[in-house]
Order: sequence, then C-alpha cells, then structure tokens
Amino acid sequence: MAEVELRAVSKSFGKVAVCKSLDLQVADGEFVTLLGPSGCGKTTTLNLIAGLEDASAGDILIGGRRVNDLTPFERDVAMVFQNYALYPHMTVAENIGFTLRLRRVSREAMRQRVAAVAESLELGPVLDRVPAQLSGGQQQRVALGRAIIREPQVFLFDEPFSNLDAGLRIKMRAEVKELHQRLRVTSIFVTHDQEEALSLSDRIAVMREGRIEQFGTPEEIYARPLSKYVARFIGSPPIEFLPGEIAREGGDLVFRMGALSTALAPAVAGGLADPSPSLELGVRPEHVILGSHGVPVTVRLVQPMGPATLVTVAWQGGTLIARVPGMAAFKPDERVHVSIAPEHVMLFDAVSGRRLAIPG
Amino acid sequence: MSRRRIGRIVGRSIVVGGLALFVAVTVAPLLWLVISSLMEQQALTAKPPDFSAGSFTLANYAGVFAAAAQLGQGFANSFLVALFTTAVAIAVGAPAAYALARLAIPGANTILLMILGTQMLPGIVIAIPLFIVMSHLGLVDTRLALIIVYLSFNLPIVIWILRGFFLAIPPGIERAAAVDGATTAQIFRLIVLPISLSPLFATGVFAFIESWNEFFFALILTRQSARTAPLVISQFAGQYQTVFGQMMAAAALAIAPVVALAILFRNMIMKGFAEGMVKG
Repeated sequence: MAEVELRAVSKSFGKVAVCKSLDLQVADGEFVTLLGPSGCGKTTTLNLIAGLEDASAGDILIGGRRVNDLTPFERDVAMVFQNYALYPHMTVAENIGFTLRLRRVSREAMRQRVAAVAESLELGPVLDRVPAQLSGGQQQRVALGRAIIREPQVFLFDEPFSNLDAGLRIKMRAEVKELHQRLRVTSIFVTHDQEEALSLSDRIAVMREGRIEQFGTPEEIYARPLSKYVARFIGSPPIEFLPGEIAREGGDLVFRMGALSTALAPAVAGGLADPSPSLELGVRPEHVILGSHGVPVTVRLVQPMGPATLVTVAWQGGTLIARVPGMAAFKPDERVHVSIAPEHVMLFDAVSGRRLAIPG
Repeated sequence: MSRRRIGRIVGRSIVVGGLALFVAVTVAPLLWLVISSLMEQQALTAKPPDFSAGSFTLANYAGVFAAAAQLGQGFANSFLVALFTTAVAIAVGAPAAYALARLAIPGANTILLMILGTQMLPGIVIAIPLFIVMSHLGLVDTRLALIIVYLSFNLPIVIWILRGFFLAIPPGIERAAAVDGATTAQIFRLIVLPISLSPLFATGVFAFIESWNEFFFALILTRQSARTAPLVISQFAGQYQTVFGQMMAAAALAIAPVVALAILFRNMIMKGFAEGMVKG
C-alpha cells in the first residue's frame, strides 16, 4: 500500500519537453486516471512513475520514499501495457509466473500462486496456451494476472483497453474496477477515453501539453471544469461555447447571446472582473432546453440514442445540440423554442479559456 | 473488362515477368553447372556443345571421388571454418547488436558507422598486411586464421542485420520484463533471444554461406592443410588443361550443402527475414 507523489517532475527528450514540472499526489488506495489527447505526456508520466524513463528533474515518491534512482522492479510497481506486451514464446502460466521465476520462487509455490491468480481471472482452462491462441479479452486478463501476482504497491495501466472492441472494453472496465475494489491497491490509469476515466476513477488528472490542467473528482471535472479545454474534453456530444455579453435586464444580470439571454446566478455575477473581458457561455447538451419558452428555432436533425435523443437546432448561423431525455418526438423543420438552464451556466474568458466564476 | 482490371493484369504481368527474369538469371549458371558436370569433356567443349544422350556421364563425379582425399579434406576445412565462424559471429554479434539497438551507449552511432566502415575496404587492400600479420603469428595455413579473417567481415554484417531485427521487436515486451524484475541480461537471454530464433537462424545461414563460399582470403592464407573446398575445386583448372567436367562436378558438390540448407530451412529463413521488416 502506498501513496504516489510527483514533485515538480519534468521530462525532456532532447529539446522536446514532454512533462513540464508536474505535481501530483495520489492517495493510498486511490484510483487516479491521467486523461488527455495523444501527445499530452500522460504515458510518459506513467513511464516516469514506473521507472521506464528517467525524470529530467523533480522527485518521484512512492510510499514516501524517493524512487528516482530505483529500477522499475525495486519501485514495486506492476504495469499493464497498451498492447498487453505478453511474452509470445511463453504459455499463459509462464507469462503470469515470469516474475516469480526471476525471484527464484520454488516450482510448487509458483504453481499454486499462478493457479490462484488464473482462477480469479477465469484463465484456468487456458494456462497451457501461448498468447497467440488467446482472444483479445483473455490476453488482457493475462496481462492483468501478470500484474496481480506481483502484489505490488502500485498498479499502472497504460491504455490497456485500446485494442479491445467496444463491448469487451466495457466488460474489462468493470473487471478492473471490481479488481480495484477487491485489492484496494493504488492505481494510476492512462487513457484518452473520457468515459473510461469517468467510470473508473476516484480522481481524474486532465493533462494538456505536459501539464496537469485540472485534477479532481469526476464530478468536479464534469460539472466544474476550470477551463474550456477541460470542459471540451469531457462530455459527449461536447459542450458548446456561445459568445455573448453581460447585460442588465430589469435589475437582473443576464448573459445575452443575440436574441437569447439567460439569467446569471449572483455568484457568477459577483465573480466578474470589471471591465468584463470578452466572454463565452459554456453549455452542455443536457442543459439546452427545448420547450415552449425561449427563442424560436428550427429543428435540423433528430438522433434517438435510446435513453436520450440528440436534437440539433439551427442557431445563429451554426447549430446547437440539445440532449432530451427519452425518445423525444421532434421532427426536422419543426419550430421549437430554445432556452438554457441558468443553474448550469458556466462563463469562460474567451481569450485565456479560463472559467470565470463558480456558481452555486 | 474494366480499365482497372486491365491495369491490374498488366501490373501483375510486369511483376511476374520481372521475377521470372531474375530467377532465370540466377538459376541459369547453376543449371549450366549441373549439366556440364554431367557431360564428357569433348562433348562439352565442342562447338556447339553436343547434347546427344551419349554425351552424358557420371564419370566426372567418379573422377572427383577418386581425388576424394583432397576434396574431403577441403570440405571438412570449409565446414569447420564456416561452422565456427557462424557460431562465434552469432554468439558475439547478437549481444552486440542488442546493446546497439536498445542500450543507451554513448557514441552508438559512431560505433555502428565504424563497424560498417570495416566493410568499405576492398579485400585486396588488406590481403598483404593480413598475410604478414598471420605469418608473424604463425597462423598461415591454419583454420584459425580463416576463422579470424572471416569473422572480421561476417561479424559486422551479423551485427547490422540483427540490430535491425531487435529494433523491430515491440519495446513493450522488454519493458514488461523490466517491470517484472528482469535485468538487461535476463531480458536478452529469456525474452529477446527466444523470440528471435528465426532471425538468428536466418542470419546464421547467411554467415555460414559467406564463409563457405569465400575464395580470395583462403587462397592467400592457406597452402595445403587448411585449404577449403573452393580452392580444391579451382585446382581442377590446371596449368595445361582445365578439367571442366570434374571441376563442375566438384562445384556442384560444394554448393549442395548450401542449397540443401536453404531448402530445408526455407520457411525459417523467410520468416526470419520477413520479421525484421514488419514494424512491431
């Protein structure tokens, strides 16, 4: 059991800075996801923690001990790799038991521990096969087994599900979450899949160009993003940003976007700098309300998704997407009224991309 | 027939035609070698050669076997020299190639270029210095001399070829082994070597053939006891008469092991060379 801490950790390859003074604290037993687009430095960060890359600067601590100069093995971390990285010439049992073989564990003890791990991952019947004879899901489980048998202080996952089809991915996600609930081992998981991050994590670190843009619970990241970047990265379909300006309508502060205006909570209004910079309102599709009041618009596209329907309406030369619960009965070319739920309004500085104030 | 279909057929014909030409150019001398080894000298040297049924004979092979003691010695020398050269080239070359492929060695590129640079010198340039060195060491006309010299040009090639193979191994596997607690030496021995058997074998066959066929340095560095098969064969061309038929028969016998090696392990060699070309 161990907490993981990065203190001002940087990593450069030649002149390219991949990680820029990262600070991160992962509590003992916590499940943290590093989320970001490819090239943001998340896998490098994981490799730095694993000891597969050497940090250019800063300290890496596992369980309070500085591990910068230790080998991956000495750091007592186990890692699950993107392409499973199974040893192709070894059977499943040999793959899982390889680390024990290196530690000269007795044959009998090894057999028992491998059997126990294989049992927990439903790999018992395929122990004598080589990786090429396994399905993608089974290969993934062997990779997990190889990590579990170590009983490490920290699990590291590098986009482990990216090669699986959608159905299997959801199943493996549940298995990893169940595994974490059972073993309570500190886990750091790298992905570019927001759904994976939201569903697995205690906390998510959203990364951008080698820095951590925001570190918080899934709820914080989704509902209170600190920047346009974070807001845009989470949520599908993505959040919309509508340019507009602050105005006063009958004593209340409103944000006016052409014909449409929406009330601003006092907390939002209170946080505004004066004079106000150029602003954008961020609104997620589920907070775009189609109904009888608001501004009249025309329905362009209706996409029923099952539990919800995505309705695209024409909006100021572009489009705006509303997520309506259930199989809503809208039709293309229908006239509807659109409004925005004021309690979920987020305002962003259009230039810096930072969010201005925290409502509620 | 659609244009695209015609285009595809034409394209295919060009590829097949090109390959056929290549095969013809490669195989024709071999075919001629085998045919002439089976013909009587007079029929062979007649203009045009006499291909009637009566011209064919096994007498050349019988003649070669009559000189068996000499030829047998040559074959044994060639075999031992090629085998040792190959074994050492692989045993030394593989770790070197892995180190140059994966470890952070200062000046690795310079080292690689220097290794390649040794290949730039024409044999004739180093032949005389080499002879002098070997003669000072008392190694002239020994198999050891040939092994040392053959290693000097086989080892660089082996290192370069194997380095390409090792670079093509997906690094994730080695990283996984490192996380599992393997040292670099263990990663090489327990992971990299076992999954590189085909490339190692293909490279080994290549090194073996190179040594087996070598003529020039063998001519310079051996006299009698260490003479290799190619030298013995060349002796069928005498000062006053060239015994074509026997020479060809001996040559056919000399290429037989190499051809057998290639046919026997065709799949492994193909797999070996193909593996290096697939990105991991």
